[in-house]
Amino acid sequence: MDTAARYHEQQLFFSTGRRQGVGIDAINGLGLRPALFAYYRDLPRLRYDFPLVLVDQGPEAGTIRSLSSVVDEMLHEIAPRGMDGERLRKHVLRLEREVRTLLAGGGSGRMSALWSQAAPLVAVPGDPSATSVLTHIADKVQLDGDLVDCDRAMPARVLTHAWQAAQQRKGKAFRAIVERLVVKLSGILRAAFIHSAAGQQPDALRASLGGTHREVFDFAMMSRLVARNAPKDELPASRRRRIESALAVLKAQPFFPDPRLTQRPESPTTFNFRFDNCAAAAAAYRERLPSLAAVVKALSIAELEVEGAYAEAQHDAFFEHFDDTALSADDIAMFPDYLVCIPLDHNDAPENAGLMDMLSAGLPVKVLVETSDLLEEAAVGTGHFAFGVRSSRLANTATGLGGVFVVQTASSNLYALRERLAKSFAHRGAGLVSVYAGAGATGDLPLYLTAAAAMESRAFPAFTYDPYAGDNLAARFSLEDNPQPAADWPVEPFEYADENQQRVIEETPFTVADFVLCDPRYAAHFARVPRERWNAAMIPADEWLARDPKSVGDMMPFVLAVDGEDKLQRVIVDARLMQTVARCRTFWHRLQEQGGVHNSHAEILLARERAQWEQARAKEQEDLRASTMAAAGGNGATMAVANATAAVTKAATPSATAPTAAPERNPDEAWIDTARCPSCNECQTINDRLFKYNDNKQAYIGDVRAGTFRQMVEAAEVCQVAIIHPGKPWNPDEPGLPELLQRAEAFQ
Amino acid sequence: MNMPVTQCLIKLHEAHHNLEDYQGGVPRWCSGCGDNAILAAVQRLCRDENLAPERTVFVSGIGCSSRFPHYMKTYGFHGIHGRAFPIAQGVKMARPDLAVFVNTGDGDCCSIGAAHWIHAIRYNTNLTVILHDNHVYGLTKKQASPTSPRGLKSNTTPRGATLEPMNPLTVTLGVTNASFVAQAVDWVPELLFDIIQKAYHHRGFSFVRIIQRCPEFLPKMFEPWLHDPGRTLLLSHPNGLTISPELSRTYKNQIEHDPSNLDRAREIASSEDPIPVGILYHNPAVPCYDDLHAVSAMRTDEQIRAGLETELDKVTVWPDDSAPARQVA
Repeated sequence: MDTAARYHEQQLFFSTGRRQGVGIDAINGLGLRPALFAYYRDLPRLRYDFPLVLVDQGPEAGTIRSLSSVVDEMLHEIAPRGMDGERLRKHVLRLEREVRTLLAGGGSGRMSALWSQAAPLVAVPGDPSATSVLTHIADKVQLDGDLVDCDRAMPARVLTHAWQAAQQRKGKAFRAIVERLVVKLSGILRAAFIHSAAGQQPDALRASLGGTHREVFDFAMMSRLVARNAPKDELPASRRRRIESALAVLKAQPFFPDPRLTQRPESPTTFNFRFDNCAAAAAAYRERLPSLAAVVKALSIAELEVEGAYAEAQHDAFFEHFDDTALSADDIAMFPDYLVCIPLDHNDAPENAGLMDMLSAGLPVKVLVETSDLLEEAAVGTGHFAFGVRSSRLANTATGLGGVFVVQTASSNLYALRERLAKSFAHRGAGLVSVYAGAGATGDLPLYLTAAAAMESRAFPAFTYDPYAGDNLAARFSLEDNPQPAADWPVEPFEYADENQQRVIEETPFTVADFVLCDPRYAAHFARVPRERWNAAMIPADEWLARDPKSVGDMMPFVLAVDGEDKLQRVIVDARLMQTVARCRTFWHRLQEQGGVHNSHAEILLARERAQWEQARAKEQEDLRASTMAAAGGNGATMAVANATAAVTKAATPSATAPTAAPERNPDEAWIDTARCPSCNECQTINDRLFKYNDNKQAYIGDVRAGTFRQMVEAAEVCQVAIIHPGKPWNPDEPGLPELLQRAEAFQ
Repeated sequence: MNMPVTQCLIKLHEAHHNLEDYQGGVPRWCSGCGDNAILAAVQRLCRDENLAPERTVFVSGIGCSSRFPHYMKTYGFHGIHGRAFPIAQGVKMARPDLAVFVNTGDGDCCSIGAAHWIHAIRYNTNLTVILHDNHVYGLTKKQASPTSPRGLKSNTTPRGATLEPMNPLTVTLGVTNASFVAQAVDWVPELLFDIIQKAYHHRGFSFVRIIQRCPEFLPKMFEPWLHDPGRTLLLSHPNGLTISPELSRTYKNQIEHDPSNLDRAREIASSEDPIPVGILYHNPAVPCYDDLHAVSAMRTDEQIRAGLETELDKVTVWPDDSAPARQVA
């Protein structure tokens, strides 16, 4: 009996998805998960990126840290080497685990609060002081902020935090500009007042003097004296109006109001810049545009006034019709960005249309789009998975708009991408962050693992498109945040004990089939095969996909899984799911090409160039061999060829600073090597019409007939860098020529 | 538009200058003096970088070279002997928007001003420093300076200078926070300009030693180097200078030197023959004191006045013994 006949029921399941006969089991209720996830049963016991600290206090305010990194940093400072340090380290790490457990159990709050809450839970028998020590250790940490675990709300919270930090930096820079201009403009008005008749009145002078000795002065007399000697340069009325108007606008600007003023009752209006839908954000942007233009106008007028560069004849007409059409991207970039966090799965068609409009218009908006379910069935009802087509299509389309900073990633990877997120928020113009939040699966896997599985399996690959990173796609588009981006699937070593308790390490791929295995809704696509029925026709899913479809024959793809008791299982994947896996791989290949991995255009070009180069090289060597053989008469040909090749190579190597040939010159003509002239004035002292300076103050022969040959020779002799070449005399009747010609000989 | 409206408008009506616009008084330097070459190079820099004369300051100490500010039609400060650095640092601290240059001589910088020199390097204030090194005190008619060669007979060393000369390059390279060190010679004007331009573009303390001729008191000093271009070693590098093919025709002695290599820079700087010319060391990562000490917020007139009142109150004799309590904003 051949293999196909013995394992007919496996073949049947693979082809049709129907289970018949013995030796093939449904996976419902087995608690299967991908084998590589066997190590991640109890996440709170593991130290990994989460939970995150959204730092809002201390010198690192605005940053995002992982709790583990904060703890490591603290231990580095407080835990001394030796046993004492080791004990303390152990306690602190236990406390960290308790904090992680509290969060996983639904707890929330600031890091300091959760730390205090967890400290009593790490009670040390026989050492009552340990709890208080652990509580007080928290004081050593120079930072604090909300702790967030990898949950549904996390992406929006992290992005809002990063956006706020970027806006604070922007606001600080903007306020510094406004503050400087307000001080300077006020200074102009103050100086004008001091110079004015009103400023020279006794009362004004009295107010300008310190209080204690005020009474000993005669301010009426002082006023008369000052008025007599003060400059009479009153501020023109038009300039005063301009400055006062600009000052009023700058002081009341509502975009980055002075935090000291916002507490006061007369504080100017402030704007909100965070929205949960694109339409509201776009409407707010349109409504505020005139105010923004007014502030830019005031800034420009103020800057020109402060520089003393405002010219009414040129600038009045420009500012008279100044409106939002005059704004440049740099102007708009000074103002706050709008943040739109579209709630989970609200990225439906109308919202998408509004979003694309905003992005394509280059508005200063950063948008977070979240996807919770990659495995929902496609809307057309073909039975295919959509694979987050809505959000991934959005991200891909956004890269084509040109100026949009696009980041696509799973939520589990947000911490690793924190610097890119910061860059995206610092980016001038629109930005899109598309996140798979891992919230759609209904299995028992934590969201962190579901999200990580999506990225690991290429179901939701990470990529970044930075439109200003360079002139080409290679610089702008990056896939580097994916695990093993050059491969079809990441492959990791999986270590387990076999039936003889021997350690086995198996290189295990993580494919889309592994990702789907995490979702119990699609358990019907898998069937467990008991160990006694494992056979040679079962091959790993990645290997099955890599084979030529014609040579697959009776082979069946399987993935490795572990059950609730951590026993290794092989699970056959049905053909329908394998089609989806293959389709996903095709998507991934397209992204790889975009990211420069296995780029077909580049590979074709490379192959063509290589063929041409090899052909040319072969011909060159053939020619060289033939000519050398002819010259050497057949003896020592090998050595001659080697020498000749070396000579060719040497001759072909260009020198960066290869000297150029000296230009042809008429030996009878006087000339100066002008570029070497050190402007020492020696020749000009002799005759400044004969020797002139060019725009760089270096000498050349001006009018040779404006001087004598004697002067030419004397200048050549006195020139310390010897760059004057006298040539021949223009006047054959000049006295003493024979002697002069002899002296000139040394400089020709 | 790719720049803010304000910048557009300022650029639109920006004044452009030619070389003569930067020419102050007629130089009193001797005919053939290397200072003339430095003046021409600096004026060319001002023109090419379109430096506004009212936003450019030349600060000097005492000596032939220190007459430099008189010959520039910009702001200038002809200071006292050896004190060009602290004055320039003060100017830069008070007005960071100005381009501040220091012109100092081998006596002014390396002798009486040596302490200020060392600490100015350490502060790494954003200044462009030009050391006019002619190896002699010329203004006072030939006395030995710290860089005079051993054996030089002068008014103060009639039997010849006893000590080996100081090397300003190795000294600068040995000080903490050195960030830009270069050497030029006045007889290769093309590189003189290139080096000063690189120094100007470096944000930090850019130190350029320029070996210059003194035709009056040391007329023969550099003749061997003037007559033999092979004794001038040009340093080139993609991150330093690019030597033009025309110059390479005359100056064939060239090596590639990476300006980020401090050890190699010190080694090259020690060479007196051939004379190295180029960027020896450049580290843009060294922080500037200007940035470290920058005040983020502008002080209003009221704050300045309140601060002054508080300080003056400390030394005021109150007529009624009841000093008012003031608050400094």
